[in-house]
Amino acid sequence: MAEDILALIKENVIQGRVTRDDEGFDEGLVGQAGVSELAKEALAQGVSSQDIIKLGLSEGMDIVGQKFEAKKYYLPDMLASAKAVGAVMEILEPYLTRSNIKPKGKIIMATVKGDFHDIGKNIVSILLRGAGYMVKDLGNDIDPQVIVAAVREEKPQFLGLSALLTSTMLRMKDTIQALTEGGVRDKVKVIIGGVGTSEEFAQSIGADGYGADGFQAVRVVDKLNTSRKD
Amino acid sequence: MLVTKERIDIDRQQVLRSIGYGTDCKLPTRLASLVDDYVENVHNLIEPSYSCVVRDINLVQDSRVIIDGSIIFESKVIASLLEQCEKAAVFLVTIGEHLEEMAYRLVEDGLIVQATVLDAIGSVAAEGVADFVQGRVREIADDRGLVISQRFSPGCCDWDICQQRRLFWAVGGDSMGIHLTDGCLMIPRKSISGIIGIGPRDGNVENCNPCKTCDKHNCHGRRGM
Repeated sequence: MAEDILALIKENVIQGRVTRDDEGFDEGLVGQAGVSELAKEALAQGVSSQDIIKLGLSEGMDIVGQKFEAKKYYLPDMLASAKAVGAVMEILEPYLTRSNIKPKGKIIMATVKGDFHDIGKNIVSILLRGAGYMVKDLGNDIDPQVIVAAVREEKPQFLGLSALLTSTMLRMKDTIQALTEGGVRDKVKVIIGGVGTSEEFAQSIGADGYGADGFQAVRVVDKLNTSRKD
Repeated sequence: MLVTKERIDIDRQQVLRSIGYGTDCKLPTRLASLVDDYVENVHNLIEPSYSCVVRDINLVQDSRVIIDGSIIFESKVIASLLEQCEKAAVFLVTIGEHLEEMAYRLVEDGLIVQATVLDAIGSVAAEGVADFVQGRVREIADDRGLVISQRFSPGCCDWDICQQRRLFWAVGGDSMGIHLTDGCLMIPRKSISGIIGIGPRDGNVENCNPCKTCDKHNCHGRRGM
């Protein structure tokens, strides 16, 4: 019974359906329960919030990631699925707090000074939340000193920096430099992303990781998180 | 400032391309309906306006370009673009602030797919206004037996975005309700500034493509070869 409802949650994450009124990636699903109704039903049946996250949401998003990489899914499809995950996480939040379940880690996200492009950052933030991380989004056009102060105050394990323009990419280096000068560079792993950035660029400015897209960003954070705990 | 009365047609296919969908992709019905609905009804959120001046080019040397005696741009790419040109059209276009305000509201309401589609439509619309201005510059050039180059914007290639201020001053950007941030980005965001060369019909101006000699092969702004 639990397996059935978890499989349905997983399938509806893949379809990107929050409620029964939503259409899915495929047609003909309107009227069938979406993830919100299914998650509430699963909790009523006594399914644990961890199982809903692991076997419903995470497994569903893994498949969405595979479809995205295989170019069977595109940005809006991935966003619809991420939104479905976010909707369930909201439902589960009080259960997770009650069970004293900790997030996998904390990450601060920011689009660097001089850049207002935030769609990529927002997508990565949604995917990270869905993957079990606590995300604090500072917004866009963020001064390096504001980021340094946030790292001091929030004590995140990770910092995600985003930039789209070739001119503002260089502000990522300034931000990392500011972390060093502020004495907090060794307290946080820095992951960068954005259209013009690359693995080589990340290495050249002293970042710890690079995410070419949202899913890769989550994988990089997961990998750094594992090595941090080892 | 000129407010164009032209309706800016939004190319549905271009909107889909900008959010990742090629022509051979399966487009979910829900997304097709959303894009169709927005493309059909977005025009009340778009207020196209532009400013464009055509000025003499006084000097192109190495990476320095002097226009109208006082507008100085420093960029090897822009210098190579304008090398064979007699005049330059400096322009600024915007679709106004309503569309991005709506996109922000959608994000706040958690409607991120809708916001992404609307944002993409805004970008396509802004490019549409820039295309319109480019068309007008082409007509001006044609009347004089000249042709136009590709258009380039500050922030592209080696053209430092800080030089946006010089361009802004040349076209009176403030009067269009556009302002520059400390980092020289334009607010409203769906605005495009740039330069178009005007020169003789000998093939060098029309065919000049600085991307051909650029080694940034993965650049998202790389022009067709």
